[in-house]
Amino acid sequence: MSANGYYGILLDVNLTTREVSRFQVPEKDLKMFVGGRGLGMKILWDRLKEPGIDPLAPENPLMIMPGPFLGLPIPSASRTTVICKSPRTSPISSPFEKASGISYASMGGFIGPEIRFAGYDGIIIQGKADTPVYLYINNDQVEIRDASQFWGMDTDEFDRKFIEHLGNRRFRSCYIGTAGERLNPMACIINTAARAAGRGGTGCVMGSKNLKAIAVRGTGQPNVANHKYFLELLEKARAAFAEDTESRRNWRYGGTANSITSASDRGVQAVKNFSEGTFEYAHKIGAKAAREQIWQRDFSCFCCKLACKKSGVAKGAYGGLVHDGPEYETGTMLGANLLIDDINGLNKAIFIADDYGMDIISVGNAIGFLMEAYEKELITKEFLNGIDLTWGNVDATIEMIHLMGKMEGIGKEASQGVKHLSKLIGQESHKFAIHVKGHEVAAWNIHARPEWFGISYATCNRGACHMHGGSPSAQNQLALRDSIGACNFASSWFRNELAFHNFMSAITGIEWTAESFEQAGERIINMERLFNHREGFSRADDWIPDRFFEDAPTHGPSEGILVERVAFSKMLDDYYTQRGWDPDTASPLPEKMAELGLDFART
Amino acid sequence: MNEVIHAQTRRDFIRKLAIGAGGLALVGNFGVVFRLHGATGNMLRGIVVDFTKCTGCRTCETVCSAFNYPVEVDGEMLNGLGNPWLSNIKVHWYNPDVDIPMVCSLCEDAPCIEACPVEPDEVTGLKAMYRDPLTQTIRNNPDTCIGCRRCARACSRQRTGVIQMDANRRPFGMCSLCNGDPKCVKYCSFDALKYVELHDDTEFRKMSPDAVARILIERFYDIRI
Repeated sequence: MSANGYYGILLDVNLTTREVSRFQVPEKDLKMFVGGRGLGMKILWDRLKEPGIDPLAPENPLMIMPGPFLGLPIPSASRTTVICKSPRTSPISSPFEKASGISYASMGGFIGPEIRFAGYDGIIIQGKADTPVYLYINNDQVEIRDASQFWGMDTDEFDRKFIEHLGNRRFRSCYIGTAGERLNPMACIINTAARAAGRGGTGCVMGSKNLKAIAVRGTGQPNVANHKYFLELLEKARAAFAEDTESRRNWRYGGTANSITSASDRGVQAVKNFSEGTFEYAHKIGAKAAREQIWQRDFSCFCCKLACKKSGVAKGAYGGLVHDGPEYETGTMLGANLLIDDINGLNKAIFIADDYGMDIISVGNAIGFLMEAYEKELITKEFLNGIDLTWGNVDATIEMIHLMGKMEGIGKEASQGVKHLSKLIGQESHKFAIHVKGHEVAAWNIHARPEWFGISYATCNRGACHMHGGSPSAQNQLALRDSIGACNFASSWFRNELAFHNFMSAITGIEWTAESFEQAGERIINMERLFNHREGFSRADDWIPDRFFEDAPTHGPSEGILVERVAFSKMLDDYYTQRGWDPDTASPLPEKMAELGLDFART
Repeated sequence: MNEVIHAQTRRDFIRKLAIGAGGLALVGNFGVVFRLHGATGNMLRGIVVDFTKCTGCRTCETVCSAFNYPVEVDGEMLNGLGNPWLSNIKVHWYNPDVDIPMVCSLCEDAPCIEACPVEPDEVTGLKAMYRDPLTQTIRNNPDTCIGCRRCARACSRQRTGVIQMDANRRPFGMCSLCNGDPKCVKYCSFDALKYVELHDDTEFRKMSPDAVARILIERFYDIRI
């Protein structure tokens, strides 16, 4: 047990040799890269010494990284980041055939805290098992076990049967569905049947290792450096959350789904493959409709006071259990973006995509792209394997999700993403292929807010990302939240005395300040950028699709609004300048690298 | 050090109980009828869960553990950090989505005590598993306990299954009521836990998590498992 809030130990698993060891993290790396996403990026850099390594090759380290807040009862700090080299992104030009960027995806729930209860700051998985396996972690007892009986099982069934198999409900797990087994690039990692490390193809990398699941149980707890100060902060944080504020009530009432109607009202929603910002029937799939028709229960992640996860029952022809949904992203990408206004059908589609274990943002984006190509008669019904993929068609959408999950016919093509589809279809379809670096754009539209969402999507190192932030400072803060394990939705409670950096000081015994905290975030973003740069990513890759410069929404608050190319380029110039990056290469300048202690990454 | 602290706070608890008993008598004079429970005839109070409010956040696990396992820091006894494994209340999760906090029911007939094979002490009359005559909580005397785990087995077969064995083969998981101010109740963010008078017909009391889950899953989702 380390006295400074970390164990300093990562479980280091090689599935090829079936060796399990304990990796001692250099103390300097803990200080510089904090944990979670940040520490994962440093290890990704260290372990992939050459650019161009195939993301599905055994060398690609798949890391499950809880931050230093995890395993402590800090409210709403349960986020765990999965880090690996991305199977989803690729630069416009690169000397390396298999060039791709960094990937990370964050998930809530209980798996991250449990990893820390078991005595680890994270898990690194490299190699590839010759048969399907799962990783069994019971404190010090770590085994690579046969998973052949579970191979071919989708996430809902797996979630129920795996815990029976383990025979102890204190185990927590994360796993892939059959999409990940089939190396579907959109595959994600799921826990509790619905919480997902959704983006960036993490489930595809897990599948490439023949790793079905990770089960973990722990009976310990990390220590903190300044026990008394930590308890004081904890008590104050609990008191702050206990206040009956409008914000807390809203999270409880609708979770992220509150934004389904509010984003539509503001004209910033992804509607009809991002051609519109407002959905006339948003109210039919929004939080109020779900609260009245679907939701039965509210759920929290570990020690969270917001309970934004909603479960319930859909009715009628699309009836059945709803593990979680709609959320803003799932509800918009499979709802508004496809002009689907049937809340039961929407939930069925969400359930099926979760069951295969696919990133619903990318799935909804790809289906929207195909709907538009079909409407414009760029593709035929035959091309779509006979599916009449019209706007708002629930049955056709569900059929497409099945084909994608099974990697059959058009589903196999669609699973490669809209960048691939637009190359396949040609005919200028790239203009409405809504991705950055090959990674599909999420449910927040760009027309009306290029200075925030345009910058967020364009500059994010994992490809289009709505959680990246629209300014260097915001990005640094968000990278740090992913690194400590705090939930972004609860961050507004951590102000003043309760600022995250004060918790970090109490936990680690190192005096963190607002400035040193943000600088650590900056270091992480720069580390990511250096990795991507080595793979061949350049400024041309930091760009948003033509649609936002050419097709203005036809109604709602963003009616007639276009982004101007020169103006957007200027925003990027300003961004690179603020970052201390070379505006031509969009990569950190030597002075910035030196300032951040990243000289080791000079190529 | 731990024991000293516990003893002090326990005295507070007993004092509060005495005041409570006074209140009881007063109210009783106004003609309210009380059902009396427990081996000693005292009113039995414990923790009940409102499963329609629980969100499964497990804050209860951490505050229970933090209070019941204090640590010495620089010569001062402070709450622990709240290791959930040590908690006396434990949240069980199910798919379809239901979370079931399980806490000692303080059973009037206490199968755990019934199952304890240790001969009653000649002076106190208590087995290794016993009911504290003042607080009504179920306790274990680690000195006379033989670590046979029959208490845990009886609880898990007949009741809630909250009793588990620690590294020293002594039972734990019996609710302490935090010396009269249960921390799980105090800190529940969703008002899902109550410290109330217990009755035989208190819903879900003494039931296993599997049995509770079956009922709730059908109730919430109309699904039978």
